[in-house]
Amino acid sequence: MTMTHPGLPITWALGIVITMLLTGLGVMLIHRETPHNRVIRLAHLPLIGIPLQRLLQRPWLQLGLKIFLVAVFLLIIAAGLYGTPMAERNFATVMTWNIWWAALIISIFFLGTTWCGVCPWDTLASWLVRHRLWGRSTSGLSLNLKTPKVLRNLWPALLLLIILTWLELGVGITTNPKATASLALLIVVLAVISAALYEDKAFCRFFCPVGRTVGAYSQLSLIELRPIEPDICARCNTLECYRGNKKIAPCPMHLVMGRLTQNTYCTACGNCLQSCPEQNIHWQIRSPSREVIRDARPRWDEAWFMLGLLALTSFHGITMLPAWESLMTGLAQQIGDSGNRLISFSLGLGLNLAVLAALFALAVKLTQWLSGNRQDFRQIFSAFSFVALPLAFAYHLAHNLNHLVRESSGLTTLMINPLGNDTQPLSMMEKHMGHLQMLISQDSLIFLQALLMVFGFWIAMRIIRHRRNGVLPGATWSLLPMVFFAVLINLFHVWILMQPMVMRL
Amino acid sequence: MQKIRLLLLLALVQVCIVPPAFAHHVLGRPSYSLSEDSNTPPSMQVETQIGKFFVTYMVFPAFPRANEPGRVNLYATRIDSGEPYAGQVTFSVKDDSWFSSDEEILGTQPIDAGVFRQGFQFNKDGDYIITARFEADGEPYVIDFPLTIGDTASATPITVSVIVIVLFLAGINVIKRKQLLRAKIRADRTDKHA
Ligand code: SF4
Ligand code: SF4
Repeated sequence: MTMTHPGLPITWALGIVITMLLTGLGVMLIHRETPHNRVIRLAHLPLIGIPLQRLLQRPWLQLGLKIFLVAVFLLIIAAGLYGTPMAERNFATVMTWNIWWAALIISIFFLGTTWCGVCPWDTLASWLVRHRLWGRSTSGLSLNLKTPKVLRNLWPALLLLIILTWLELGVGITTNPKATASLALLIVVLAVISAALYEDKAFCRFFCPVGRTVGAYSQLSLIELRPIEPDICARCNTLECYRGNKKIAPCPMHLVMGRLTQNTYCTACGNCLQSCPEQNIHWQIRSPSREVIRDARPRWDEAWFMLGLLALTSFHGITMLPAWESLMTGLAQQIGDSGNRLISFSLGLGLNLAVLAALFALAVKLTQWLSGNRQDFRQIFSAFSFVALPLAFAYHLAHNLNHLVRESSGLTTLMINPLGNDTQPLSMMEKHMGHLQMLISQDSLIFLQALLMVFGFWIAMRIIRHRRNGVLPGATWSLLPMVFFAVLINLFHVWILMQPMVMRL
Repeated sequence: MQKIRLLLLLALVQVCIVPPAFAHHVLGRPSYSLSEDSNTPPSMQVETQIGKFFVTYMVFPAFPRANEPGRVNLYATRIDSGEPYAGQVTFSVKDDSWFSSDEEILGTQPIDAGVFRQGFQFNKDGDYIITARFEADGEPYVIDFPLTIGDTASATPITVSVIVIVLFLAGINVIKRKQLLRAKIRADRTDKHA
């Protein structure tokens, strides 16, 4: 018997749709152009501010977390390769897909790109190649080549993200502990090869699908790493945050703190925090919408990455449709596909990406045509592509929240027996118990999901409104195709949330 | 503009009236289950779709061992009408290793209360492929499914990863040493000339 989680009740869905439409109308009609710049400086918080800042300026906390996460990572590998093939009894599958993958997306909102600062793939690659636990490495095995120009963009990461989705939804790697562990190992191998060939963190910057997803979503994060006093940075001649010093390595992403306006490529490695001689860098809490609405600079490859993210998050929902099932069956019969319908699935995935891209391009083209503007299509496309980000992030958060809240019970049992030795498949009773043991109440979950969907749509509307200034100044009603695009996608996401969802494991 | 608005609205209405469905359904993926109301041991189950049929097979016990008897139950129903297939199914087995192609027939089974049952007993641990063959409407149907006998632990991914990393880093080490040597020779030459 398949256990399913209930979806959003219809009354809530209607409430979301009405609030969404009113919000959209409000944003479009009420004239308030720029998001505010107010921030809360963590270093200035009473009592905890200074100790927190001191802690973050030393390497110990980060190093401790790295060692801990490498240990967890190795346990995942061991459990995946040597443990039971029952996914729900194996630490590898539960930890990777139910806990980490779900919690990672949620963590981005509160902690930005912090994951990348402690990520075991990068840690292992750095340890193996640079031969240092922390700090600046003078020896090491890297050739430090420049990343070839053709790879210096987000296309490799987008391709790997599509492959990851294919493995997740098509091959069903989420229920296969051995495949989960093998994938984790493959990423280590790729990270090591990249670190041994190229300078700095080329893998994190250009190839890692997880890191680039974290980077893209972190534009909507509540926190950022920035200078305390921008004036100090403006007067700085040494640029140690960028160049490093004797002990601390330079910024691996070539970012100059004084000019940093977006989180996307900062991997929260903490080098700048430790190397700045003025101690002028700190974490601050900010408006989560400011960067994506105003500060982030549009780029063609990033635009496609954001659209890819939206298409792939929506694709999770599309694979739930009865129409999808019949389409796959029909296609599999037509082309004589095998029982697991992998070719049909791959075609469906490709079609989904193409349709979303076409829908977005059509909305942009119509907007441009209606406004009578002759600006370069690529520029308008890139500027409005930020709309995809809050829509994807809100749905991704709402979906993952459901998994995390409902499927993370039983972790203690798994910690005691991570390999699942001598265990039996989950009994009906255990499935029911797991179903009932939620981290927060059902009502709170529904409320949070509703809030997220409205929040995502509200930011999307503000992006349309603000980003037009750069590419289509003065456009008003001609923005309607973009607005319809956002409405359509968000309504689709709300509808998907209304559907009962099968437990991941 | 009006037309597009109408089209989008129609698309939305279409989206909103389709009946509910379930997420994360992937065919051909094994799952393990307990049968609560009988003494049947835990089973491994795989659902798959082929041509006009929806096929489910179950393996008892879920983790068969060498020299112990086991059983495959296969159910095949038509996708359109839900009617069970009523002919005969031939089961065969082959080693799932890269260089093996030997196939052995396990038996041909008639339908029995809607199920095709095939017993098996292996004398060696390993990964095998069970193949079920039948014919319907003049078309042949062939379904392969994996069966692991004995311990499923595998060190291959870790061994391959370690070998790749070690060889790659060793290669890089050689290149770096050569680069250093060349740089030293060049520096020596410059010193001599100076
Ligand atoms: S970008 Fe990828 S490899 Fe790099 S730190 Fe982030 S998750 Fe890890
Ligand atoms: S050194 Fe660069 S990547 Fe590291 S935290 Fe500072 S800005 Fe981010």
